Amino acid sequence: MASTGLSSSTPPDVAPAKGAAVVVGIASHDDEATIGTVARHVSEGLYPHRSAGCIVIADGGSTDRTLQRAYEAVAGACAVVTAPYERSAFEPLRSPYHGLPGRAAAIRAVLRTARDRDAKACAFVDARVTSLAPEWLPRLIEPVFDHGYDYVSPYYVRHPHEGAITKSIIYPMFRALYGLRIRQPAAGEFGCSTRLIPHLLDQGFWDGEEAETGIDLWLASAAAAGGFRVCEAVLGCRTHASRAETPDLSTTFAQVVGALFADLEARAETWQRVRGSMAVPAFGLPPAGGMSPPPVDAESMLDAFRLGFRALRDVWAWIVLPRVILELKRLAEAPAEQFRLDDDLWAQIVYDFALAYRARSMPREHLLGALTPLYLGWLAAFVMGTSGWNQKDIDDRVEQLCVAFETKKPYLISGWRWPERFRA
Amino acid sequence: MLVQVQRIMSQATSRIVESVAAFVPGILALVAVLAGSVILAVVARLVTMRALGGVEFDRRAQQWGLGKLGEWSAAKSASAFVARTIQWTVLVGGLLVAMTALDAAMPSRFALSVFEYVPHVLAALLVLAVGTALAQFVARAVLIGAVNMQIQSARTLSLLVRWLVLIVAVSMAVEQLQIGRQILVLAFGILFGGVVLATSLAVGLGAKDVVGRAIERQLQRPRQERDHLDHV
Repeated sequence: MASTGLSSSTPPDVAPAKGAAVVVGIASHDDEATIGTVARHVSEGLYPHRSAGCIVIADGGSTDRTLQRAYEAVAGACAVVTAPYERSAFEPLRSPYHGLPGRAAAIRAVLRTARDRDAKACAFVDARVTSLAPEWLPRLIEPVFDHGYDYVSPYYVRHPHEGAITKSIIYPMFRALYGLRIRQPAAGEFGCSTRLIPHLLDQGFWDGEEAETGIDLWLASAAAAGGFRVCEAVLGCRTHASRAETPDLSTTFAQVVGALFADLEARAETWQRVRGSMAVPAFGLPPAGGMSPPPVDAESMLDAFRLGFRALRDVWAWIVLPRVILELKRLAEAPAEQFRLDDDLWAQIVYDFALAYRARSMPREHLLGALTPLYLGWLAAFVMGTSGWNQKDIDDRVEQLCVAFETKKPYLISGWRWPERFRA
Repeated sequence: MLVQVQRIMSQATSRIVESVAAFVPGILALVAVLAGSVILAVVARLVTMRALGGVEFDRRAQQWGLGKLGEWSAAKSASAFVARTIQWTVLVGGLLVAMTALDAAMPSRFALSVFEYVPHVLAALLVLAVGTALAQFVARAVLIGAVNMQIQSARTLSLLVRWLVLIVAVSMAVEQLQIGRQILVLAFGILFGGVVLATSLAVGLGAKDVVGRAIERQLQRPRQERDHLDHV
């Protein structure tokens, strides 16, 4: 897969790279503004492994000076090769939330290159991450080298109001499904071992229609479901330059939650056997200092939930139990200061939607679209209920939610095995 | 004279007997076909009910927007409606076949013309079923999309779209039935032309500021949200 594939103006691959102990992939497409810094920081991070380190630029056919910038930035500090990938056509209405069409192909190209070069460890980063520091590399790679972990999931430090889809659905459900407390399983970067690479490449999800948006989560679930050793690397804050117009909230939500529900369907045999959950070790310390809070308008989210209840009540009635509709009615009528969405109720709603997704109670894009106002209701309650809390309190709050998802898991399993019992 | 009368009577009697003798097999065939069609219709209804029950047709019909079939008819459910329709179709078909067994010219021609019309009825039914399902799908897509764009009149919008699709479907079905083609096209043109003209006038003259503000709000709100809060 790895190939020079460069135009005459692009520097040739810097050899040797065969037998590289560490392969770091950088996914790029027309990223000349940011890739230089990223490549330089990656090569600095690879310093202890520089003799056996290799940077793989997975490029989707950049038309600017992306590749040249990367080569110039590395300046021969370690080996560099390119692994071109086929970038899917850009469709404005279906653009992926991460902004990189062909992301799955890029990751696959990097993993194949790592396998072909007998890499002992592999890491993957995005060329648009502006906050990437040289320390990120040791944190993603050293747990593999020094501690024998197979999959290193990043943990970014974020403001409590950021990453709410992950906090409210992805993390609690992933944890309940696979029994591993990976707090950001759909994060963009990762590290993996030589043992895990062929397992990931053998997965059947690469060419699927949803791979574009689900690949990050599916890599984590493949590692977790495969019984591999998993840990977290605390990387600090993640900021990135946006590539294109990102989709709106409901599209983003449908892509991320749809990927989780699709994974649920694909690994039903595995997650039904898992009970409880265990913590995974985290390497690295979060940076000191707080973050400025993003502007959040809880009142408008609450309005969106109330509008959703008025307009979508009949649609929700197809998916959730009648008593849930009654609870939602009570919430929709409650004043803002009394608006609290109970964890058990939220877990029940998410599981009901997952079951409806499986049963194809309605077209899946409709189903996921109908869940968005409920998510906004959850977020409004979370923002209003945690105002002024410190990080520890927030973590405790999320832990409480995760426990609710774990406690409710038998309901999900029952509904999955005997769907006819749960139909109205 | 008496002999002549006797001969005429005898000839008339024999003609009547011959006619009756020729007619009786037709009657017997009619009765047999009718009895057969009744049995076939009942069996078809029962088999249809069972088959539709097996594939959970009532639940699926609700999803496809065909759940109101049962409410529109005396049947209690969509599957009962379909089963009854099949039953009556078999019965009517049997009756028409039975009429041809009489070998009478008029009933035969009538039966033939009815049979020729059947494909049109089937096509109209198919168009109606597809139209209803499409109306449900599109209306729900519009409803969910509008709610997620926080359009307050999402339900009204969805209802309008549903009826628009339904009206088009009904018009196409009536077109298939070859009923009042010219009138239908005219009525359709007048109705939609009128609606579009009235809306344009209302927006252009009466509510352009309101519409402008609403569009501005819709365009600005998601952008602000996108720019500041990372949900993933």
